[in-house]
Amino acid sequence: MKKETMGFKGGFHLLDAYPLPFCTIIDEISSDGAPEQFQFPVTGQKIEHVIVNLCPTEPWALPNWVILKHKTAAFLSMLKEIKTSYFSDARFHLAINEKEDRAVEDAVNFARAEDWIKVIPLCAKYPQDDPVILAQVLLGMDVSFGQDIKSLGILIVDAQTVSAMYEQGIMRKDVNSRYVVLSGTGLRENEIIRAELGTSVEKILKNKVKDASTCRVFMNGPLRGKEISDFSQKIDWSVNNIVVFEEKSRKVLFPMFKADELAFTTSLLGELRRCVYCNFCDDICPVDLEPALYYHSYIRGEKHKARLYNMGKCIECGLCSFICPSKLELLKIIRECKALDKHE
Amino acid sequence: MKKFLKPIEPLLDKGLNTAESFIHTHRKVNFFFGAVFEAFDGLIRNPKETAQSPPFIRHNYDVKRFMGAVLVALVCGWVLPAIYLYGWQCVVPKLIVSFVAGVFIADFLWVIIAREEHIAEGGFVTCLFIPAILPPQAPLWLIGLGAALAIIFRNILGGVGNNLVNPALFSRLFLTICFPAFLVTGYQMPLIGTQGIHTVPQGLDAVTHATPFTAFKTSGEVASYLSLLLGTATGSLGETCRLALILSGLWLIKVKVANWRVPVSYLGSVFIFSVFFSLILGKAVAPPFFQLLSGGLILGAFFMATDPITTTYNQTAKWIFGAGCGFITVLIRDFTTLPEGVMYAILLMNLLAIPIQSLMVKIRYRL
Repeated sequence: MKKETMGFKGGFHLLDAYPLPFCTIIDEISSDGAPEQFQFPVTGQKIEHVIVNLCPTEPWALPNWVILKHKTAAFLSMLKEIKTSYFSDARFHLAINEKEDRAVEDAVNFARAEDWIKVIPLCAKYPQDDPVILAQVLLGMDVSFGQDIKSLGILIVDAQTVSAMYEQGIMRKDVNSRYVVLSGTGLRENEIIRAELGTSVEKILKNKVKDASTCRVFMNGPLRGKEISDFSQKIDWSVNNIVVFEEKSRKVLFPMFKADELAFTTSLLGELRRCVYCNFCDDICPVDLEPALYYHSYIRGEKHKARLYNMGKCIECGLCSFICPSKLELLKIIRECKALDKHE
Repeated sequence: MKKFLKPIEPLLDKGLNTAESFIHTHRKVNFFFGAVFEAFDGLIRNPKETAQSPPFIRHNYDVKRFMGAVLVALVCGWVLPAIYLYGWQCVVPKLIVSFVAGVFIADFLWVIIAREEHIAEGGFVTCLFIPAILPPQAPLWLIGLGAALAIIFRNILGGVGNNLVNPALFSRLFLTICFPAFLVTGYQMPLIGTQGIHTVPQGLDAVTHATPFTAFKTSGEVASYLSLLLGTATGSLGETCRLALILSGLWLIKVKVANWRVPVSYLGSVFIFSVFFSLILGKAVAPPFFQLLSGGLILGAFFMATDPITTTYNQTAKWIFGAGCGFITVLIRDFTTLPEGVMYAILLMNLLAIPIQSLMVKIRYRL
């Protein structure tokens, strides 16, 4: 099978920009009460396509080697058993990071003998693993942001979910814990831990944070995730990672020589300015929008006009705000204008 | 550098914090020096704002670096070659006058009067353009007046981000109308005797020569392409060494500060239209390669037309913008008595960029 280069315009190589080293030490953390159980992701709908996503694009997300343990063939035979027991008439699509040569080779060798699975090596640039982009690149289907993709017969699972499905569905074992990646400048060390479902964030971060008063905690990454202020919140299966950033809310002298010190914090890394029409936002947009148009409509007070510029296609990946040299809050503006849409 | 800065860092930080709190508590001091302090502070310190809404991580690229890249490209593109070609006595005083008049007088006064704007690095870019687009023997007061006019004009329209047309070119247009004598003469041959420092303030010196385009219009003489490329032909101070301008322009495109579509379509359309008119009219119009290499075209195409604020935002519309610039340039050069058309072409297309942009938005989103 020839190596296909599939993808989309725009996007950003987060993995190259923020290389995060992880040690292999894995802590086990148990919850206080009885741990919650893993819910098998299928509840009666007919699934036609299963996309197995082995292409995490965010450096703070769970890397593949934690689950695969460099044994891709064993993982794929696990996948085969799941297919025969649960998804006998579904097609499987394996999205895999093209840079992980050995895994790609193993998967391609495996898929040569099987006709139910297709291996697609992908460039791991953010937001390649977004459901909308995956469905579009792999299946050629137009899915809109926020739509329930299971109702379209598509199931997207990551490596950890596959292994949990195998353990619960085939081995008949209880699955009540998952890997969570802890990273960020606010922590003493970047770690991968195994925590029981239902453990509170407070317990997970205990003794790991440098200085609790100047830290901000984000669940599922600083780009797409949520900030959490209530640390008694319990983690469930959807929590892939927790990122803790230092809050650099003071002026830093000579920022040009301290790029590494400032880069992985919540700092805006620049002054708020007017839009200079630099075209960075539409160059980086993965769904080919022009976010600056929304900004211009917004500051003129024409929120309704902003929605005319294909706003429904936006997948809220946050790259426009991320790249903007004028540090404009483009994602906030987009969400505000979208919310206007719902009220009517 | 880092090691050298380390011991003074805490001291400097404390000093700046004290000064900041002093300025903010004293209203009169804040009125006169608040903006100056803010500008200086912004140059060496990172602001304390943090991301309050998602995404909570931001890229390490801000407008300062954006403008810094333009400054670096301009210094390599015209300041260094001009110092070599005309001598530092000609270039350095002009730069100093331009910065003092533009940034340190016009911008500071404006901030005190209007109180809305911040002093920003955009002014340096404009003031670095002013000497480049005026003749080498332009008197210093003309440079200062041009820089001040450019900054005031830009600020009246609302500062960086709101200017309709390129402020440096607008200022040159103004000077062309008011002081035509200084803009059609004063083109000194490069590498022939540097000016003495005492003659600098008066400007006009003895040895002047027609620009290649004026020479073509009067006698039909075409300058050698190599002299045009290397900068040994006459021209405005910053436009002569085209090789350096092209190289630094390409670097600007590589770091994505300049959009490649504008220079490609601008130079491409100049070439196409001049070939077209040459085929029809023969020797009466300038040949295509001479058009590409003469006048301010290279400086204009790589540095002025690509100014992101005054072009269209839409990427497809940038092709139309560049093509329009090229068409108007060739028209003015071939069919009017004016010696050069780049300035008029860019200014006109800056204004036309607004309807082009809204037209492209309407087509793209089917409004």
